[in-house]
Amino acid sequence: MIEVKNLTFSYGKDKQALHGLDFTVEDGEIFGFLGPNGSGKSTTQKILTGILKGHGGKVSLFGQDISAAYGPEFFRKIGVLFEFPYLYANLSAVDNLNYFASFYPKAQRRDVGELLETLEFKPDFLKKPVSSYSKGMRQRVSMARALVSNPRLLFLDEPTSGLDPSGAVLFRRIIEQERRKGTTVFVTTHNMMDADLLCDRVAFISNGKLVALDTPKGLKEKNSNHRVVIDYLYQRQRQTKTIEAPELEAGIPFAHDEVISIHSQEPTLEDVFIQYTGRGLS
Amino acid sequence: MREGFCALFKKDCRMLASGKFFLMAAGFLALYTAYVNLGYIRFMQMPPYNVYLYDPAGTQTEVSSLVHAVASLEAMDAALLSDANGVGLDASAEAVRVVLYAGAEHVDHHRADYALSLLRPSAGSAPEIIGTNTPEQKARKEITCELLFFELAAVGFLGIAAVLFQEKGMGVIRVHAILPLQKNLFLLSKLMVFLLSDLAFAVLLTLLNVGLADGAALLPAVLLQTAILSLMMALAGLLCALLLKDFRQFTLAYLIIAIFAATPVFLSANTSVKFDWIDYHPFYHVYMGLKNAYFGVAASLVYYIGSACAIALLFLAVQLAFRREMGKEG
Repeated sequence: MIEVKNLTFSYGKDKQALHGLDFTVEDGEIFGFLGPNGSGKSTTQKILTGILKGHGGKVSLFGQDISAAYGPEFFRKIGVLFEFPYLYANLSAVDNLNYFASFYPKAQRRDVGELLETLEFKPDFLKKPVSSYSKGMRQRVSMARALVSNPRLLFLDEPTSGLDPSGAVLFRRIIEQERRKGTTVFVTTHNMMDADLLCDRVAFISNGKLVALDTPKGLKEKNSNHRVVIDYLYQRQRQTKTIEAPELEAGIPFAHDEVISIHSQEPTLEDVFIQYTGRGLS
Repeated sequence: MREGFCALFKKDCRMLASGKFFLMAAGFLALYTAYVNLGYIRFMQMPPYNVYLYDPAGTQTEVSSLVHAVASLEAMDAALLSDANGVGLDASAEAVRVVLYAGAEHVDHHRADYALSLLRPSAGSAPEIIGTNTPEQKARKEITCELLFFELAAVGFLGIAAVLFQEKGMGVIRVHAILPLQKNLFLLSKLMVFLLSDLAFAVLLTLLNVGLADGAALLPAVLLQTAILSLMMALAGLLCALLLKDFRQFTLAYLIIAIFAATPVFLSANTSVKFDWIDYHPFYHVYMGLKNAYFGVAASLVYYIGSACAIALLFLAVQLAFRREMGKEG
């Protein structure tokens, strides 16, 4: 679906934002693109969505070089959720969605009412102007806008931003549903839980360079120290011991009366990210 | 493409309607029409100065009806005190004495000559009249032209910039970057809405203030000039709104345009003041194009070529600024 080879981009002479990125995104995959602010992830997404031109290297989408694919035909196949909910504040959710949907062929459009219902949008607000909506409601309308054209490739920038925990769960479920329909999803996020729960593979970008690319599980395993921490009681005293995981294969290798808990020392995705880049995501 | 353009056009109309733009334009139309018909034309028909005559012996036999007779020199002084532009004529001695508050020297001569001419209305030479307009028609066409120019140059310019600033603030311009539409349509629909609104305004303003028969005859030429000015100002407004950060900066740009660009044009076109450099001022030619349209004078081919080039260049600049705005960070 997406093939990127030696992608470079520069905002002027001395401001190189991307230093030769290489990655591919398969059809129907949920691909996470993670990086701290200013790392080049927005630039990459803008190149992939056809907003930024003048890149170096090769970028192919839908099997076609992107420089030849910037026409309306290309934009009909993609849906984009921006980091901020860009909507007409003086129009209602329905009017906004009908307006944005009107640029796509009728056969391609989804029913606006159904879509908003799927996104659990409050029916009372359907006809009220967006200016009266909460951040979470605006994010729901923005997601509906990205989905209204039934895109084959969906770009999501911080999809769960501004949502409460149940809203975030709903969004993750909807993204999963999209993937089941065959949609490819490119997620840019700071949210490690989203990346871990949603993505088939994640790429870490730092200072315009790709520093790691694997499944979340693979990345965590690769960077794990393979140790477990055991809390136990022995002679009525609570004690803690850290051992190498393979040692457990033959049972608990020390004297104990009762095991209270066993915790693996597997790193979180954020720990792995810091290991690779030397800095956090915020 | 047609459906996309219709959606954009409809949305722009809604934006303008919700911003009360059409209501404001209707209000301006009513205000201008009231000003022309109830104020300006009456004012232009009034004599330039009041003339007060003190003639105790009744020596002046042919006095114009525009002259106000006063009973004493004290009454004349009192009248001139309350009307400093007035002219007093003291005919109590053999030679008529002119009394007035001094203003500018050449104006004072004119005031004195005018007042004395009212004592012998039949002795005035009959100048040769050229042109077919009556003084009222001339005044109506001049003021309608000025008001239309002001409306297009100021109100239209501000209106389109306000709409774009609103869209810029909401971030929706960036959404249009990923929609399957020719990006130029976003600009063209706005230009179309303002052009149609300006043309409708020009039709109504001309018919209501120049008169139905006269106005209808002028409309084709006036509408052509209106379209040229409307496109230029709308494009300039779009460019300013795309390049400038906020409305405060825009207001400054607007003041510069209003004061430094429009003032010399009005002075050169409507008074005897003519700056040497005014021929290099693009607004002067556009204003004269509009004024000539009201007085039935055809514009030159060079003017039309220049206008077309200016519109094309402005459109290119707006396109570049628009693409830059679409690619901006959230």
